[in-house]
Formats: sequence, C-alpha cells, structure tokens
Amino acid sequence: MSRKFPTATLVAVLSLAPVAMAGATGLATCDSGSPDTWQPQEKLTAALNEKGWQVRNVKVDGGCYEVYALDEKGERVEAYFHPVTLERVKTAAE
Amino acid sequence: MIPVWGALVRVLHWSLVLTVAAAWLTRHSPGRWHEWLGYGTLAIVGARIAWGFLGSGHARFADFVRSFPATVRYARAVLARREARYLGHNPLGGWMVIALLSMLTLVGFTGWLYTTDRFWGVPWVEALHSTLSDVLFGFVALHILGVVFTSVRHRENLVAAMLHGRKPAP
Repeated sequence: MSRKFPTATLVAVLSLAPVAMAGATGLATCDSGSPDTWQPQEKLTAALNEKGWQVRNVKVDGGCYEVYALDEKGERVEAYFHPVTLERVKTAAE
Repeated sequence: MIPVWGALVRVLHWSLVLTVAAAWLTRHSPGRWHEWLGYGTLAIVGARIAWGFLGSGHARFADFVRSFPATVRYARAVLARREARYLGHNPLGGWMVIALLSMLTLVGFTGWLYTTDRFWGVPWVEALHSTLSDVLFGFVALHILGVVFTSVRHRENLVAAMLHGRKPAP
C-alpha cells in the first residue's frame, strides 16, 4: 500500500492538470456581465500609464482585467480592475 | 537485496516530487509560495547535480550516462524484449534523469526571470515558463511509464527501491 502511494499521487496530480489549467485563477472575480459592455483594455492601459505605471500585459481573469505592471514606484504589481468601472478590485493576495 | 540508491539520492528524489507537485498546485495562488517552491526545487536540483559528480556508485552521472549509440542499442533491445537488467539506471533511464534535471533547471530559471523587474509581466516569458513546465510534466509522465514498464519487465518494484534503496541482487 505505502509503496504505491507516491506513484498514485503523481498520477492523480498529472491527470488533474488539464482540468485546473482551464478557466479562472480565482484570485479575484468581477460581476461584469457581457464583454460587450466592457470598456476597452487600451483605455485602462492608457490611464495606468498616465499615472506612472508601466503596463506589461493585460489579461482577462474571472471577469476582471488582470494587469501586470510596474507601478509608479517601480514595484511589480499584478492588479485586478473591474472592466466596466475600471475600479481596482482587491485580490485574494491583498 | 543489495543497497543501490543512497540516502541522499532518495531524499533528493522524493523532495523533488513534493516541491514540483506543490509548485504546480500553487501556480495561481496568492502570496509567494510558488516562488519559494521554485527556489527550493532549484536548490535540490543543484544538490543532485553536485552529487552526480561527488557521490559514489550508482549516484554518479558517470555510472549511468551512456553514449548515444549505446542508448540506441538498449532501446532496440527493449523493443525486441531482450534488454539487460541494470542495477542502477538503464541507458534510457539515465538520459531521462538528464532530461528531468535540465527541464527543472529551465523551468526554474524562466520562473525566476519572470520575477525580475526587466521581465515581470512580459507575455513571452510567462508563455515560455508555462510551456517548459508542460514539457517537464510530459517527461515526468514518460518517467513514470518507464519505471512501471521496467518494473514489470524485470519483476521488481522500482518505486519501492527508490524508497528503501535496495534491489534484488543480479
């Protein structure tokens, strides 16, 4: 029994991989409705760059815009924004 | 039963299983767990590579890394179902060790790269890290298949041997 354990665990971990790779990360969710009603990503990027951020990448995660950037202090940030209001959304990490 | 895998080889092997599984599980988690697991994995890989040169017996790279022709000969023998049994790693298993250590290093390195100010948030770095980890898990799956296949072929439990370190004498 015990000698089979590591193999069984690894196989279980491996077979779960495709399930968890799809979809949201769960770090934050936005109740943001249909993407038709969202403001464009470019507007968010422009606003953040305007206040001194260096936006590197914007993705959609959990109905939010997920922004990878250096902020005005040069700190690395992964920040979430509501795509309709463009308000910052707190994540599980914050 | 004779001793084949020393304590350090076994501890490093199962530590890698744990840190890699935990790193995979925390890949989207808040906090810095994933990063620390990555550094831990790189440290274990570094220790295993050092031990491959400084260790003794079947732990040494010189014991199990064989030439390309010798490895092809072994692979042909496997297909013909007449391959020799090895106490240490067989030629294909030896190259699998090299492949796994290389992939772990590359995945760890690109993960670290993503945390630097220069490459933070850069999409191609993230994509590379994630693709390399997919390749790593592909090798892990092949490694497990190889272990199961060889265990069946030679009627020995290689998973148990990596736990207690002993294998039946030839």
